[in-house]
Amino acid sequence: MKKTVDVSIPIGPVHPCFKEPARVKCETRGEYVLSAECELGYMKKGIELIMRGRPWQEVMFLAERICGICSVIHNMVFIEALEKISDIPVPERGALLRVIVNELDRMQSHILANFSYCYTIEHETLGMYLLDIRESAMDELERITGARVTCAYIVPGGVRFDLRDEDAVHLRASLDIIERDMKRYIRMFEGGPLIALRSKDVGVLTKESAKEAHAVGPTARASGMPETDMRLHHPTYQKLNFKPVFRTEGDNFARIMVRFEEIMQSIDLIRRCLDMLRPGPIRGGGIPSAGETVYRGEAPRGELSYYLKTDDAGRIVDISVQTPSIMNIEACTHYMLKGVASLADVPSTFISADPCIACTER
Amino acid sequence: MSILQSFKNLVRSRSIHVAYVDVGSCNGCDIEVLACLAPRYDIEQYGIYVHNNPREADILLVIGAYTPGWEDKLQGLWEKIPDPKVAIAIGNCPISGCVFNRPHSYVNPPVSKHIPIAAQVPGCPPRPTEILQAVLSLAPEVFKDYERRKR
Repeated sequence: MKKTVDVSIPIGPVHPCFKEPARVKCETRGEYVLSAECELGYMKKGIELIMRGRPWQEVMFLAERICGICSVIHNMVFIEALEKISDIPVPERGALLRVIVNELDRMQSHILANFSYCYTIEHETLGMYLLDIRESAMDELERITGARVTCAYIVPGGVRFDLRDEDAVHLRASLDIIERDMKRYIRMFEGGPLIALRSKDVGVLTKESAKEAHAVGPTARASGMPETDMRLHHPTYQKLNFKPVFRTEGDNFARIMVRFEEIMQSIDLIRRCLDMLRPGPIRGGGIPSAGETVYRGEAPRGELSYYLKTDDAGRIVDISVQTPSIMNIEACTHYMLKGVASLADVPSTFISADPCIACTER
Repeated sequence: MSILQSFKNLVRSRSIHVAYVDVGSCNGCDIEVLACLAPRYDIEQYGIYVHNNPREADILLVIGAYTPGWEDKLQGLWEKIPDPKVAIAIGNCPISGCVFNRPHSYVNPPVSKHIPIAAQVPGCPPRPTEILQAVLSLAPEVFKDYERRKR
């Protein structure tokens, strides 16, 4: 019988390209990858077990510590699920401020993902440019919420602090700088011949296999599935006439370009929110009550859903979180990595799906 | 002091290699370590290089609250790092377990039970400048006259 698998190569858990520990096992024949498998379990902390039986005031802070990169969306989805259970209304200014902070968080997360990809394909110059512009987004986040990461800005019935007028002016000025620089970096990425050699037609995820693997977020939208964007069902985004961006190629290049285009779209959304802001209350009242619900939101990496059950005192009886990265890791290892021509493309293809191991395992 | 020793001190003060390992955190401290690379903080201007390769590292940044998946692996990783070496705990998680150190969770903090920790940077997460300051203030203490002190 002909031998099919030459060598089984493990990549990780500690690897120069990976931010977080995960092990990718590749079955190879020569340089050609026959199949791949992702081994998780280095980060399992059991955060849902800690959450059960605690009041919502504590779980709110635990929820944003599920993931440090996309902490705002975890905060937002948990609080909006609580509001859905208890029918707590949100004033318009509060809802718009939530969108502003959420889009700033999405911008910094996407820039970080694209930095990781550029760093993995050894284009360090573009990576450093991106990391520099990310600090501008982080500064704005800190000006508005008071913290860089895990800011706990969104509370039931609204937001914690108001946006001052001078902060709004500063935010607009920063957005202008980010937009100007980001246009230049997108041109660099689109026009670079060596980047195209490393990225185009590598790790292709077709629309059919994306549907089979239930891919979500920018990974699915790069394969031509704009309907996977959960922001389409959010009332504030519907008011802003949100239209998701998508591409149809499904390779590494398309995934990074979708993220770049979403950064530009986020800048546009924040500007429209700032135009719509009217003076008014930022926080209404309300008491969390007993109930049960499933609530979905769009994290930077894709669809995030919370199942939540509370009792009369506002304690969390049962909670279960489904994060986007677990879907994308499955799509990545079973469809993208299969048939990658060279082992050198395995880390870059894995990073292009933007896996976040901390929220995958919780 | 021998000429060789002073030459080693000179070289080591401008060439510190850093590896970071995440043993179960929320990822927030990871990205703050990555933010140190950004041109705004520019960790490389002090001669500190983040390669994330334990075999050429001098300083190990430990992030996270020690999950059971790292039971024997963190010890092995620590032994792979050549001498002189030092470990710094970044964030509240390796010091106390932060929010994860509660009944029913799987974590087993502090990390100093498992490998020797020389310095701690508290914060959830600490700012990049604090991480940078910890690395810079600890490096001369550990690497200066290392061979002479060992004797």
